[in-house]
Amino acid sequence: MIRADGVSAGYRGQRVVEDVMLHIEAGEFTAVIGPNASGKTTLLKTLAGLLKPLDGVVYIDGRRVPDMDVGELARSVGVVLTGDVRPGLLTVSDVVALGRYPYSGVMGRLKPADKAEVMSALEDVGIPHLADKPYNTLSDGQRQKVMIARALAQKPKALLLDEPVTYLDPRARVETLITLRRICRQRRIAVVASLHEVELALRLADRLLVVSAGHVDVYSSPEEFIEVGGPEELYEFKDDAGFCGETLTVEVRVKDPADFKVFVIAGAGRGAPVYRMLTRLNITFATGVLHEGDLDYVVAKSLSGDVIAEKAFHIIRPEKLEQAVVKAADADAVIYVSHPVGLVNAANTVLAEKLVVMGLPTIEYGDAGLKGCWRRVGSLKELADFLKQLEQSTAVRRGFVVV
Amino acid sequence: MISEYAQPIRKGVIAAGLATALATVFTASIALGSQAVQPLESLQTLFGTGSETVYVIVSTVRLPRAVAALLGGAALGVSGAILQTLFRNPMADPYILGVSSGSVLAIGLALLAGPLLGLASYTPPSLYTAAFLGALTVTLMMMSLSGAVRSITTVLVVGVMIGYLSYAATSILMVLADIERIRAFTYWVLGSFSGSRWSLLTPAIPALAASIIFSTLLAKQLNALLLGEEYARSMGMHLGPVRVLAVATAAVPVSIVTTIAGPIGFIGLSAPYLARQLTQTSDHYTIIPFSALAGALLTATADLTARMLLRPAELPVTAVTALFGGPLVIYLLLKGRGVFH
Repeated sequence: MIRADGVSAGYRGQRVVEDVMLHIEAGEFTAVIGPNASGKTTLLKTLAGLLKPLDGVVYIDGRRVPDMDVGELARSVGVVLTGDVRPGLLTVSDVVALGRYPYSGVMGRLKPADKAEVMSALEDVGIPHLADKPYNTLSDGQRQKVMIARALAQKPKALLLDEPVTYLDPRARVETLITLRRICRQRRIAVVASLHEVELALRLADRLLVVSAGHVDVYSSPEEFIEVGGPEELYEFKDDAGFCGETLTVEVRVKDPADFKVFVIAGAGRGAPVYRMLTRLNITFATGVLHEGDLDYVVAKSLSGDVIAEKAFHIIRPEKLEQAVVKAADADAVIYVSHPVGLVNAANTVLAEKLVVMGLPTIEYGDAGLKGCWRRVGSLKELADFLKQLEQSTAVRRGFVVV
Repeated sequence: MISEYAQPIRKGVIAAGLATALATVFTASIALGSQAVQPLESLQTLFGTGSETVYVIVSTVRLPRAVAALLGGAALGVSGAILQTLFRNPMADPYILGVSSGSVLAIGLALLAGPLLGLASYTPPSLYTAAFLGALTVTLMMMSLSGAVRSITTVLVVGVMIGYLSYAATSILMVLADIERIRAFTYWVLGSFSGSRWSLLTPAIPALAASIIFSTLLAKQLNALLLGEEYARSMGMHLGPVRVLAVATAAVPVSIVTTIAGPIGFIGLSAPYLARQLTQTSDHYTIIPFSALAGALLTATADLTARMLLRPAELPVTAVTALFGGPLVIYLLLKGRGVFH
C-alpha cells in the first residue's frame, strides 16, 4: 500500500533519513519507533506526501505520489499530526466532516453519502455519541479520536499518525492503539504510527520501522527486533536502566550501589516485588538459588542483581548451594521470602537454615515459619522500614570500626 | 457546512433580529440629521413621491452615506472573519494587512508631492485615486507575499511593518504640510463616511457586493484552515492559491472602503467575534454572512451615532465604534468561553 524506493527525507540542505526502502501492506499496523529527533516525523510526513523527498519516490497503492494532485493524495492518505488543534466552536461532527474536503464540491455541501462516511468514521473510533459536542469540551483522548475519525472520513488507503498517544493517559493510550489496529484490519488500510511507547508498540504492532542515526531499519515483527537486542541498543540504555526482553519492560537499576548488601532467598515469582523494592531503595542484592526461566530469575537478572541459578527443573546441586552460602556470608542481612518449596528447590530451605545457624541476621518475609530467624515481617512496607533501620545501624557500626 | 447540527432555528431568529435592527438603523440614518424627516416621508422620497427639498437631502447626502456605511461595514466584517482564520490570530483585522495604511501613505504622499511637482491644488478625485492605488499596491504585495512565504505569519509581520511605515510618513507629513492643506486629510485619516457620494459609490457597490458573495466560496477552505495549514493541505487544499485568494478577497473590499471613508478600525475585529458568539459556531458558512450583518449593523449604528451625538459637530466613526463596541466585545468575551476562532 505504501512503498518507499530509495527515499531520502529531510529539509533543504539537511538530510534526516537516507535511502529508505520499505513496503507496507494493507491491513498492517506499523509502528515507527526511535529516539527523539531521529527523524520519525520527517519520515512520516514524507511518506504522507506532505514533504517532498530529497531523493527517491513514494508510492501509494501503486501510484507515484509526485504524479498525484493534492486532492487525489488526500483521498489516498489521511494524517494525524502532533500538536493541539483549536478549531474554535466547531462540533465533533463539524471537525470530522472536514475530512470530506477532497470529496465535496466548491460549496462544500455534504451529500447523504458524505454524512454516512462521517458517521461511520465516528463509529469506527467509538464516539458516535459525541457527534454534537463542541470539540473544545472534549478530553485529550477524545480529541485524538476525533482527529483520527476526521482522517478516516477521507476514506484513505493509508493512515499516518505522528505520536498519536503521547499526551494521553495509559487507558486512552491502549484504547487508541487497539482502535487503530482494529480499524487497520476492518478497513484493510495501512496504518503507520510513530510511538514513544515502545512497550506498547512491541505488543501491538505487526511491523516495526526503527529510525535511528539517519537510517530506517524494517523489522517484519516485534519479535525479530527483540531477538537482535534492538530495544537495548536503540535507546542506548546505560547501566542505570535496561530493557527486559522477556517481560518487554524497561527496568531501572541501582546506579550507585550502596555498601549495604542483602541476600534474598526466593523463587516462583515471589521475589520479584522484593527485588524491585530493593532497587528502588538503592540496596544492592544477590539472590539464589533460582531456577532459570523463573519469573524471579528474569526480574533479578534484568535488575542486574547477582543471581545464583540452577538449570530449569533441575534439583539444586550442592555446588550451587555452596556458592549461595559464600555469597550470603558477604551480605549484611538475609531475606527469606516465603515461596513454594518442592522437590527441585528443597535446598533453599536447607540454605536458609544454614545461614541462620551461621549467625547471619535473617529476616523472614511471609509465613514459612523459618526456625531461628531474627525478624519476621508481614508486608513489604514493614520489610522496607526494617531494612532502612538496619542500614543505618550498619553504617554506624562501620563508622566505629573505621574510628 | 453542517447546518443540521448548528441549530438552524436559533440562527434564523438571530439573523432576523440583526436584519430588523439594521433596517431600523438604516431608516433612522435617512430620517435623522440637521433637518429631521419623518421615516415614512424619507421612504416615500426614495420611491419618488416626497417633497423636493427632502428628496435632495435624502438622495444626495443621507442615502449614499447610509448605503456606504452599511455595505462598507459588511465588507469590513467579512474581511476580518477571513483574516482571523487565515492568520489563526484573534488580533487579525483588515488593518493588519497594511491595506488602510497603504491608502493613508499614498494620500499623504500625494498631498506632499503635489506642490513639489508643481500642482497648485489637489482635487478630491485625485486623492481618491491615490488612496485606492495605495491600498491596491499593498494588496498586490500581500497577495504575492502570501503565496511565496513558508509561514503565513510573515505576511502578518510585514503588514504591521507597513502600518508603522505609514504612521511615520503621516506624522512627518503633518509637521511639514500647511494646516489648511491637510485639514481634509486629517478628517479622512480619522475615518468618516461623510464624504460618501454616488460618484464614488457607483463603482464601489457592485465591487463590494461581489467580494462579499465571493467570500462565501472560500468558506470551505477557511473551515479546513481552522485545523491549521498543514491539516488543510493534507485534506486536499491548495495552500498557495487559497492564501492568495483569501488575502485578495479580504483586501480588495478594504481598499474600496478605505478610499471612501478612510481607515475604519474595530469593525473587522469585532464583527466576527459577535458573529461567533451569537451563532456559537466557527463554521464559515455561518460566520461569513453573520459577520457581514454584524459589521453592517455596527458601522451603520456608529455612523449614525457619530453624526447625531454632538450635533452639529461630527465625530470620527472609529472613535464611536471603539467607544461603544469595545466594551461590548470585552463583555461578550468574558461572558463566553473566550473563543477566538
